[in-house]
Amino acid sequence: MKRAILNVMVAAGVLCMASVLSATKVGDAAPDFTGTASNGKTVHLADYRGKYVVLEWHNNGCPYVGKHYKSSNMQRLQKQWTSQGVVWLTILSSAPGKQGYVTASEENDYLAKMQAAPTAALLDPSGQIGHLYDAKTSPQMIVINRQGVVIYDGAIDDKPTTDLNDVPGATNYVSRALEEAMAGKPVETAATRPYGCSVKYGD
Amino acid sequence: MLDRKNILDDLCIELRMRGCKPNSACRCALALGLALLLSAATTQAENTPITHGTLELVAEDQWITPGHKLFLGLHFQLEKDWHIYWVNPGDSGEPPRVEWKLSSGVTAGAIEWPTPHRLETPGIVDFGYENSVALIVPMYPDASLATQQSSQFGAALKLLVCSREMCIPGKAQLSLTLPVKTQPALPDPRTADLFATTRKSLPLPVPGGWVVKVTETSHFFVLTTNAGHPITQAVFFPLAESQIANAAPQKLVRMGNGFQLTLMKSDQLLKPIARLKGVLALSADRAYVINVPISNARSSPGAP
Repeated sequence: MKRAILNVMVAAGVLCMASVLSATKVGDAAPDFTGTASNGKTVHLADYRGKYVVLEWHNNGCPYVGKHYKSSNMQRLQKQWTSQGVVWLTILSSAPGKQGYVTASEENDYLAKMQAAPTAALLDPSGQIGHLYDAKTSPQMIVINRQGVVIYDGAIDDKPTTDLNDVPGATNYVSRALEEAMAGKPVETAATRPYGCSVKYGD
Repeated sequence: MLDRKNILDDLCIELRMRGCKPNSACRCALALGLALLLSAATTQAENTPITHGTLELVAEDQWITPGHKLFLGLHFQLEKDWHIYWVNPGDSGEPPRVEWKLSSGVTAGAIEWPTPHRLETPGIVDFGYENSVALIVPMYPDASLATQQSSQFGAALKLLVCSREMCIPGKAQLSLTLPVKTQPALPDPRTADLFATTRKSLPLPVPGGWVVKVTETSHFFVLTTNAGHPITQAVFFPLAESQIANAAPQKLVRMGNGFQLTLMKSDQLLKPIARLKGVLALSADRAYVINVPISNARSSPGAP
């Protein structure tokens, strides 16, 4: 009997490990998703095949996110890369009642106030897209290439702090991945620890 | 010293998080009033208010003896449900960073980090400390200090204090002045308990006679410990980030002479590593520093 219980527990543990293992990794095909943007439009990732796509996990109460918006670094990146045909999807995976959860109109106000310029901001209060990509922090960043393969997953840059003064001297991993990929080179730093605040998923 | 500007910023950030209007000057003014009131009411000699707690710079000894190492402690006392981070913070957060301002003739050693705890939220595991923790730092005053009557230790800290719900960055300026005397230093009875308790939570070298080995498969590291007796509980804390999947379960298999612990590799680990370094915690006051070369499992029939 004891052994049977143990076996069940071990099996559960293995299942649990398997679910962690199945998270998207660099080199994997980016799993497709359908999301609702704050402007009311429906976004299918698969529709962007043939374009580079950046996924940015967002939580407006997180000081690490604040660093990149107050310094206008994130907005600058959004404008720089969308002007070159890159699709930029900001994803909000905070559950209702948790830090960073906003309604569509609140998000639209925020985008206007911050002069943010993503292609779309996707409301993901169920955490479905976040879990699909195993997003752990805001601002975690993922870059997907034209063939729909994840080529970068991790931090926005190499300065894991909340200090606005650290933005100018930082190496931006997203820009570097896009530059390298567009030049036909392999992405040198393809996975890093995505520093920031934990994504505020529902329980 | 109280960094009022910083506390003001922190409180304003927090009020915003609680749904206040971001540009509500009156609320921030209220926060400033509150911060001043709190500081007047609770600040003692060296206790510095930080976000959701206090921080104090303390010394183990009553004075400095030139040429002899002494230990300082950064003593954090946090409100319930708030935490700070270990040197490897895990999936989110960041450790406190200290910049020392020392008299010439004094150099600071590295922080001695107590064994951390796993701070779990769905899908995310951080490593850190709740409630109270002291970070011990050795200081090395050289013989030239003998010409002085006292010496000041200054510390500028950058901090991140978090709950499961939110994180608040902050800064703190601390200072401690100790007399300089030539006779051997006596311990300060006011801090004796703190240093004694903290030392119990520092990881130790692996006991002599233990054999610790690490093998790897494509997805896992397997840490096998032969301690000469069965061990039923162990948690591994990796020193470097991006090596193991922090949130993955660590499967322990008890063996006659120890145990085997299976650690899932991090998705961020794209290049092989030569050694596995970290802390192996068997219980609250029994943890060991691990620094072991990694060998390939000869034939791994899939995941262990």
